[in-house]
Amino acid sequence: MIPLARLLAKRLATSLIVLIGVSMLIFAIARIIPGDPARIALGPNATAEQIADLRAALHLNDHIVVQYGHFVADVARGDLGVSLYTNRPVTADIALYLPATLELVLVAGLMMVGIGLPLGIWSARWRGRAADNMIRLVSLLGVSAPSFVWAVILMLLFAFYLPLFPIAGRISDSYAISSVTGFLLIDTLLQGDVRAFGNAAWHIVLPAFALALSGIGQAARLTRANMVETYDKPYIEMAQSYGFPARRIANHYAFRPSLIPSLTIIGLDFAAMLGNAFLVEAIFAWPGLSRYGVAVILRKDLNAIVGTVLIISATFLLVNIIVDLLIALLNPRIRYSQRPA
Amino acid sequence: MKRTLAILLANPLSLLGVVLVSVVILSAVFADFIAPFPEHSGAVVDFANFNKPPEWPYIFGTDLVGRDMFSRILYAYRISLILGIVVLAIAVPIGVTIGLVAGYLGGWTEYLLMRLTDVFLSVPPLVLAMSIMGVLQPTLANGMLAVTAMWWPWYTRLVYNITRGEKEEGYVLAAEVIGASKAHIIFREILPNCVPAIITKMTLDMGFVILIASSLSFLGLGVQPPTPDLGSMVADGAKYLPDSWWLTIFPGLAILIAVFGFNLIGDALRDILGAEQ
Amino acid sequence: MSTPTLDIRNLTLGFKGYTGFTEVLHGISLSVEPGERVALVGESGSGKSVTARIVLGLLQELRTARIGGSVLFEGRELDGLNKRERHALRGKAMSMIFQDPTSSLNPVFRISDQFHDVLRRADPRITRDAALERAAAILAEVSVRDAERVLNAFPFQLSGGLNQRVMIAMALANEPALLIADEPGTALDVTVQAQTLQLMRKLVEEHHTAVLFISHNLGVVREFADRVYVIYKGRIVEQGPTRAVFEGPRHPYTRALMAAVPRLTGGGIPDIDEDSPDFGAPLETHDAEGRA
Repeated sequence: MIPLARLLAKRLATSLIVLIGVSMLIFAIARIIPGDPARIALGPNATAEQIADLRAALHLNDHIVVQYGHFVADVARGDLGVSLYTNRPVTADIALYLPATLELVLVAGLMMVGIGLPLGIWSARWRGRAADNMIRLVSLLGVSAPSFVWAVILMLLFAFYLPLFPIAGRISDSYAISSVTGFLLIDTLLQGDVRAFGNAAWHIVLPAFALALSGIGQAARLTRANMVETYDKPYIEMAQSYGFPARRIANHYAFRPSLIPSLTIIGLDFAAMLGNAFLVEAIFAWPGLSRYGVAVILRKDLNAIVGTVLIISATFLLVNIIVDLLIALLNPRIRYSQRPA
Repeated sequence: MKRTLAILLANPLSLLGVVLVSVVILSAVFADFIAPFPEHSGAVVDFANFNKPPEWPYIFGTDLVGRDMFSRILYAYRISLILGIVVLAIAVPIGVTIGLVAGYLGGWTEYLLMRLTDVFLSVPPLVLAMSIMGVLQPTLANGMLAVTAMWWPWYTRLVYNITRGEKEEGYVLAAEVIGASKAHIIFREILPNCVPAIITKMTLDMGFVILIASSLSFLGLGVQPPTPDLGSMVADGAKYLPDSWWLTIFPGLAILIAVFGFNLIGDALRDILGAEQ
Repeated sequence: MSTPTLDIRNLTLGFKGYTGFTEVLHGISLSVEPGERVALVGESGSGKSVTARIVLGLLQELRTARIGGSVLFEGRELDGLNKRERHALRGKAMSMIFQDPTSSLNPVFRISDQFHDVLRRADPRITRDAALERAAAILAEVSVRDAERVLNAFPFQLSGGLNQRVMIAMALANEPALLIADEPGTALDVTVQAQTLQLMRKLVEEHHTAVLFISHNLGVVREFADRVYVIYKGRIVEQGPTRAVFEGPRHPYTRALMAAVPRLTGGGIPDIDEDSPDFGAPLETHDAEGRA
């Protein structure tokens, strides 16, 4: 397992460099804002003295490089500053809203993998047949609309016309759940309240599915494309000539080598859901990072914008590292070679 | 080229794509002639006919100030297509050039350029565009800028991967041996080999730019009223579900149709041109 | 005479494509007796590989393929079998060895896993331990001494020669009546190819396995086969005992093929005049006559 450790170290180092780059990018974006952040923060009634004080406190009079230095030092201490919108530390705000978003994204990610990959396998196994054409068309439709459109359609169909699922929220008001992890699906179980868990699960189905739909389509398309290519490989012909069962060839011999090239993109899609979650949260009134993120952006709340983007990017990078490790685990060539490719 | 078109029209799915995209483009171009109420693309109010379900002459219904949804959707297509074309016209040359240079030159140039690309790829696309739109004024031009900023790295990645492969090919080595300049090799020898992949990706991306732009305006960070925009129409209408369903469903389907059309063509092109990433 | 292991009679094959119907095999007949080693020789594109795939029943599943004539395996008409029965033959009664052993083994699974699947064809309930034991025994027959290491490895960790032995071991593991070898070891270097062919020859003799050996390499064919069929553009143009064919080739294509053998400098098969009157008339019009 030494190569794996080396791979992990290398990926972490690259990710750190990229994260520093991201912080510079976000910092630069935040500083090209027209107008004086101190004036915006204090509102129209502030005195010149108050503004000067805040400018000094925010280091706004220093050179941009010095400002960036202060910013990095603060971030390293886990201090993302105070939100000018809520007047609370940005970290506290994010800690409050992030779990709901992560929960939504994780469930959607499970749906993407759990539904998208089998659809792709099916499609590839029956390539050229009716089932294949059906799946290809549906998955193309899936990627062809933004998640908020799917959210609206699903809500109309399965919450209003067929009232199978709730219209909004994470859990019904009648359940009092004390927050431990912030993940309701976990907290309810920690309290041993199975009915509350069921209620939370019932609430998450539609928003997660709306968020997952384009990912499901993408995963199915990618898996199919890679598997169709794999089906032309000599080792598949060998498996067929030995009469291995068609289902085992599909699920095992053709799927596994095809999964490796698909995973990187599936990982990227999964991470992109962190952004798309904003769209679904708005429709289903999901109390996640979305409302906060959009609110702080509309109010030009610099600290909060920078903090939110930084946290999301870090999560994004983390997902990519995990995906890379997963690929290394699945690909024996990487796992057993001395130098990671 | 002729052959490509013939194959596109022969396959029922790509034919559907061609039809859908043609409808979208024609609606955008001839909106002035097709739209029953061209003046409804602006800040018009007609409270006598507000919030009407689909009925003649309002085949897609009217919005909360009495404007014809169908006319507004036609004009929204126009904005979407302009946005898509402008974004790709800026993002593609930038991304392609960086990818070619990084892939061919290698070394430190490659390292720096590709890490820069990674930085842009490491922020979820929508979040990057959102934060750019957040600090700038939400105008159409800034919307294009924000989407362009998140789009070029994908072309860099694509072209970089192809270039690294082509670099070792005989024809490139031959050009090097006879002393061709680096610029010549990059743009005259390698670039033509990237073109099929770039065209395929651009077709798919026309759809996805429309999709992302509508997402931005859905969040209130895109084109501002009264300019008609599919994303903000869905956002505005979503508050009145399920009763005024036409306010969301028609603009939503309009997005779906346009993106689906471009995807169908892009998929077919990928099969025909054999341009896989 | 006993029932031939494989008896192909007037086999035709065509593909339906965008440009119409293309016939690839124009009615070939050949037979392989039990324990006999028969070579099918021809250049690439002559139809030898598709013949092997029809015998295995792989092409029958292709919707564009049109197959005529008959293929009898141990006296049973393949066309008369249903899909399940045809499938049951594969990997048990007949098996196949491919050109490039390394790319014919799945890159992401260990040899042991793949061997287990092969042995499962004959005994669906075989446990992993039993399978490994059996695999090690067969590998010993192909002179693989450290079977445990080989079984535990991924194909890319083994040399081409070792992978080839693994393929041979897999092919013979279920004691098939017929082994089809499609250009075996062409991807390997010449000495390794010779070694593995010798091993294969020894094994099929011991197991009394009939072999249909497909090759363009006459040198190898001469070493290996009892009888030779020469295929050219979808027709058998000559056949006979190996020695007879090599010592007195009658068809101009066979002669051209032989002339092409020793040339290491390349050049391949020399152009022959296809308009010569004797070319249009294959020497083998009916297989039975040739054998009689």
